[in-house]
Amino acid sequence: MARVKPPFAVTKKGIVVNLGSDERDLLRRLFGEVEELLTSASIGDPKLARLFPPAYFNNDEAETEYQRLMRDELIASRLSSIATVDEFLADDQLKTVTFAQLDAFCAALNSVRLVLGTLLDVGDIDDYLDADDPRHDELALYNFLSWLLDAAITAISHNHGAS
Amino acid sequence: MNTPGVTLVAAAPATIERPAVDESISLEHPWVVLVWNDPINLMSYVTFVFQKLFGYSLEKATELMLDVHEKGKAVVSSGTKEKAEMDVYRLHEHGLWATMQQDGV
Repeated sequence: MARVKPPFAVTKKGIVVNLGSDERDLLRRLFGEVEELLTSASIGDPKLARLFPPAYFNNDEAETEYQRLMRDELIASRLSSIATVDEFLADDQLKTVTFAQLDAFCAALNSVRLVLGTLLDVGDIDDYLDADDPRHDELALYNFLSWLLDAAITAISHNHGAS
Repeated sequence: MNTPGVTLVAAAPATIERPAVDESISLEHPWVVLVWNDPINLMSYVTFVFQKLFGYSLEKATELMLDVHEKGKAVVSSGTKEKAEMDVYRLHEHGLWATMQQDGV
């Protein structure tokens, strides 16, 4: 995928978004899939393991209490980020986003990466693309999402550095 | 015989007043929040989250991120159990692998 413009560019007019309609459609589909998992998957579903990590080691009682109190909050927070992002990605006239919108984008995008990375069992060393790897297409998608998240963080950090 | 030590001892109050502290609180270990290395979260993302949640400088956040990456884990915050639980929740909200425990236990 040859790119001339970065996906997010901080300008005097705000954060300019350079995402094609195909890219926005792909992202909306992925966010929709995570949304469906969050609302319908069972508690023990391994696909969601990384979205609900344990808070305690060797303390089952405290861990059960933490999950009881926080799990719904974690789900609501993820769904809220996805809803924010889906709204601006659905806009064909999308030109710029606010930092709050980009922040929600980072959160939602990382949720997708956590689910996809878990499904692909991504290892510690960078997975390079091997044409013979049966996971080739999904790894290419995963790498694209990582690149996109990194670009979004660069744009947000630009704001932190300037403020 | 001049023994200043005796004079000092004699001048000391007969009873020692204990400071008014609740020992059940003062003896309690503070809680620490740990973030663990994982193969999915990007280094730039982890640094960003530390800055956002804890107000750390880029230098401090980067240092903690590198500790997580190279040593496998790092203590990112500490305090009461309630504070630690809130910090863990916010780290989980951002997809980081965080746990909490009592320091020294």
